[in-house]
Amino acid sequence: MKSSVYILLGLLLIGFESCRKDYEAPVPYTFTNTPGSGRFVASVRQTMEGVYGVTDGVGQFGDQVALKWTYVLNGADTTHYLSIFTGVDVGYFNLEGDPKADNLVLNGYWRKLVNTSTGLVRLTVRTKHNGVLEPYTGRLATGDTLVVDGLYGENSGTPTQKLTLTYRRPLNQRPFSILAHRSGGRTSDLLPASENSLEIIKLASRLGATGIEIDVRYTKDGVPILYHDNTLNLRLIQKSGLTGPIEAYTYQQLNTLVRLVNGEKIPTLEEALETVINNTSLNFVWLDTKYIGPMDKVQAIQQKYRQKAILSRRDLRIIIGLPSTDAVASYQALADKENTPILCELDTATTLGLGARIWAPRWTLGPQTQEVLAMKAAGLTVFVWTLDEPKFIQEFVSQNNFDGILSNYSPIVAYYHYVEQ
Amino acid sequence: MKVHLSIIVWMVCLFAGNVTILAQSLEQQLSNQTGPDSVKVVSKRGPYTIVVSAGSGLSYYSTHLGVPASLEQTHVSRFGVPATLRAMWYPDHRLRMGLETGWTTMYSYRGLVGNETAHMYVSVVPVLLVFSMPLAWLSGTERSIARRLSITGGTGIYINHSRLDYAGTVMANTNSLGWMAAASYTYPISRRVRVAGELKWYDAVAAENAAFTAEVQFVWRPFSW
Repeated sequence: MKSSVYILLGLLLIGFESCRKDYEAPVPYTFTNTPGSGRFVASVRQTMEGVYGVTDGVGQFGDQVALKWTYVLNGADTTHYLSIFTGVDVGYFNLEGDPKADNLVLNGYWRKLVNTSTGLVRLTVRTKHNGVLEPYTGRLATGDTLVVDGLYGENSGTPTQKLTLTYRRPLNQRPFSILAHRSGGRTSDLLPASENSLEIIKLASRLGATGIEIDVRYTKDGVPILYHDNTLNLRLIQKSGLTGPIEAYTYQQLNTLVRLVNGEKIPTLEEALETVINNTSLNFVWLDTKYIGPMDKVQAIQQKYRQKAILSRRDLRIIIGLPSTDAVASYQALADKENTPILCELDTATTLGLGARIWAPRWTLGPQTQEVLAMKAAGLTVFVWTLDEPKFIQEFVSQNNFDGILSNYSPIVAYYHYVEQ
Repeated sequence: MKVHLSIIVWMVCLFAGNVTILAQSLEQQLSNQTGPDSVKVVSKRGPYTIVVSAGSGLSYYSTHLGVPASLEQTHVSRFGVPATLRAMWYPDHRLRMGLETGWTTMYSYRGLVGNETAHMYVSVVPVLLVFSMPLAWLSGTERSIARRLSITGGTGIYINHSRLDYAGTVMANTNSLGWMAAASYTYPISRRVRVAGELKWYDAVAAENAAFTAEVQFVWRPFSW
């Protein structure tokens, strides 16, 4: 019986040790979201974008980072944000100009998506002129170098640790699609907004994305909505008692009683595309077919918003993704396939047979260099999904075969793309 | 705090299996003890008994409850009347095992959306592998409290059922891993019949549903050999 005692003790110990914390990564900074860009006028923003070497802060953020400005539209207002993408632990910074400061000051936060590390940041943009740091006025003389320096902290603590970024070179300008999974990122990565919400769509550019993939399902009464999983579950929604397949509920029931983890409503596909056009600079939307059944409603919405994008003079492609033979059958059952761009995730023969303009194989199939080059030679665009492993992201970006990568970690795809020489 | 159930499940099974094997091998050793001066010890295995219990009482939903903010004039009920059915195998050693199922109300709430009433009702059906052990076994007498007290633990699947009445009726189920722990006092009525009082904790971990129940159980020993 002695071993039983040990096993019982071991059981109790493991039971105790296997209790885990509910992880949280609250954003430590409250954005003012002041429309405009303040002192960060277009010329300043333009010169600031680039690859920077890191001197102070290497241990936390790596030896180089990429700085990229993005914006969010709200009616006639445009609000600008600076993102910094690091190569360590899928790290990124979100910053906004400080409208009260006398010079070019940025406030915001940093975050690492692979853990809960986060903290406040306050940076100043300066220029190094003849070896001396001076306030940047928007004009760079020959030999001047931009330096972005300041302090960063941990969580909501006052920033105390030095961070110094020194301009090295422009961002990689090669056309490349950085596609964010689930409309911008996963809820499980503790982002400030829930996956497949309007809020994460507005945030996607700041996370490095140039396009998004959204998951489309139908409600019981046939309204196309955004939701990833088969069922209502606590991974994606707040506790309300509602369970089971999302298709069992009407839009009215979901809209009234269900909130996503961060409190957002489940958006309709129309609301999502309206947000993409009216609020973002995203240029690609991949409608992932999560439903089984007729595609005509999604097709009608796709065509309606393609027209809206054209009228708004937006460079925006809205593509229906076909991930399965069921989805292919739904597409083939459409009465009219004109003006219905599709993306096929199946094999190359099926993709060519359907006349798809985009082929998107899963990344676990490997680089598939011959197939990729053949499809590109046939005039197709080739994306790979859903790639989250930094080592392979770096490899796929540097191989320069794919036209884009779909990832839950768009900041790291942005980093490897922008620093690529 | 959440529990990694897979680890707990495997450790419980490992522990229970180990105890069962040890008990069997102990009996085996006793029956094999022979020698020139020794008296052959012949162990008679048993008795083995199948014990069926059924009970009911009161349940209280004892964890966070989410009522949609869109509801007005809300009324929440955390109480319910649970029903439990359990079949156990009582071997000739202390550790007993069996299956438990039943039905327990978790919670319900109602409220107004505009002028329309919304009503939500959540219940679970546990399907659990349970292990039970009296606090004392061979020591004491049949009247000793320790022999009448037992602890029970189990793990398995909870079928979480929800019924929504708002703009139509939706009934849906979702499965969740979970566990239970209980302590009971059994009072003998006759050779085959007993009455027990049991305090029990049901926890459907993945669905974050948990209830505390207090039940009176009717315990019947239909087979013994």
